[in-house]
Amino acid sequence: MTTLQVSDVVTAYGKIEALKGVSLSVEPGSITCLLGPNGAGKTTLMYTIAGILRPRRGSVRFGGSELVGETADRVISRGIALVPENRLVFPQMSVAENLAAGAYLRRDHAAVASDLEALLARFPALKERRTQLAGTLSGGEQQMLAVARALMSRPRLLMMDEPSMGLAPLVVDQIFRIVEELNRDGITIFMVEQNAHMALKVAHRFFLMEQGRVTFAGSPDEVAEDDVIQRAYLGSVKAP
Amino acid sequence: MVVDFLQTLINGLSAGAAYALLGVGFTLMFGVMRRLNLSYGATLMFGGYLGALLAAKAGHLLPSGALALLAAVVTVAGAIVAGLYVERLCFAPLRGRSGVAAMVSSFAVWMQIEQLAGLLLPLHTNPYPAPFDLAPMNIAGLTLRPEHLLTIVVAALAALLLHRLLTRSRFGLALRTLSDSEAAAQAVGIDARRVTLVAFLLASALGGVGAWLVLASNQQVTPMFGMWSTAKGLVAMMLGGLGSIPGAVVGGLLLGLVEAFGQALFGPQVRELIAYGMLFLVLVVRPGGLYGRAGFDLDLAARERL
Repeated sequence: MTTLQVSDVVTAYGKIEALKGVSLSVEPGSITCLLGPNGAGKTTLMYTIAGILRPRRGSVRFGGSELVGETADRVISRGIALVPENRLVFPQMSVAENLAAGAYLRRDHAAVASDLEALLARFPALKERRTQLAGTLSGGEQQMLAVARALMSRPRLLMMDEPSMGLAPLVVDQIFRIVEELNRDGITIFMVEQNAHMALKVAHRFFLMEQGRVTFAGSPDEVAEDDVIQRAYLGSVKAP
Repeated sequence: MVVDFLQTLINGLSAGAAYALLGVGFTLMFGVMRRLNLSYGATLMFGGYLGALLAAKAGHLLPSGALALLAAVVTVAGAIVAGLYVERLCFAPLRGRSGVAAMVSSFAVWMQIEQLAGLLLPLHTNPYPAPFDLAPMNIAGLTLRPEHLLTIVVAALAALLLHRLLTRSRFGLALRTLSDSEAAAQAVGIDARRVTLVAFLLASALGGVGAWLVLASNQQVTPMFGMWSTAKGLVAMMLGGLGSIPGAVVGGLLLGLVEAFGQALFGPQVRELIAYGMLFLVLVVRPGGLYGRAGFDLDLAARERL
């Protein structure tokens, strides 16, 4: 099975270690959520898994094959796609071109074309704006586009880095609904999320990262029980 | 009066067509790297020098048509090889690091290539083979040089091919994503290093074609050609707007026309004065250039989104 297994990963920017030996696993078919304050290393971990950053040591295995040392395009070809923080759409390219870029590594052109139509049907807002420049979309639409672009590579594991950041509550609901739908379709989700309330409703498993280390792992029930997470992320003290 | 106008128009367009190619080359490199390659003109001059060297060494052995064709091939190939050298030496190692260091090192390579050219052909002025042995044509009072027509046609063809490449091919898609957002390009698995290298070589090839057109019209090459083509290409790019390829084409044509009309109206001594005056005015009024979007506008858009 295609478990994502991260073991003792150390990633550094110069002399500063952003990840100080991170180990965690994402079970196939799950929605796994990574919590943690700013600067904890969550984005660094996502970029390391995606092959964009090289770890200093450690191992990242997906479905039995080692990803450390692979280039970003090889990681995508193995079925892992990233929806980056701040969406990072191509602002000067049209919606359709953004989606085409998501399928950049694929050679099966007929299937790419049908996937594109299927995704536009799934995201009607994007279909209406097919020829519009992505930079002119609203934040929510850009987030949809970033998700759709990642899906164009037909991932088995979708990594989403703070998909709800800066979005209106209604749009956040929509994003989480999409996350659940994608998961029902069989895509494993590994997401960084600050909105722990929303994450608690959909995720099956949680990890907490602080200062480059995983400091908590547990189920939604265990998260709800944990005083520290309660105070830091749910903003309330559990009723006695 | 009308004849004079048309004559100046044609002169301006043919010069502008060559400037446009140089400007597009600069824009391709700037678009994918956000770096300025000051040695661009020198690498084109290197190609031109190889063409002149060929003419000097083997000119008497070849029929003039074959020599002209071979000189074109050698010039473009030389520009590509020199471009490869610059990319590997100045830009690839400094990727993601200091842009100023990359620019300054490209300046050093410019000097290096200029010295090398002096060693290859020590004379200041060196003959460069003409593309054909045709006399200027006279049509209804207009003097049409075949070289000028060749320049306009070849530059238009090159621009058309480039447009198709950028809009229809997989490489074009990769190049456009990279010039739009490098971080996003990484996220979809585009190999920025490889695309940058290919874009660089493409810019060298286009510039090599532009250099060949200019040198074949002038039928000579001097070490000043490096400075000259860097200046013309940079002005064309800045007029159009950093990073915009249609902008560079328009900028190049505009520069050629303004120079030609400036010269026709006020004499050759003010030709450059008027061209740089126009650049100054455009940058004051529209700092992002006529088609400006990259650079200034992108930063602005990013700030708005945050």
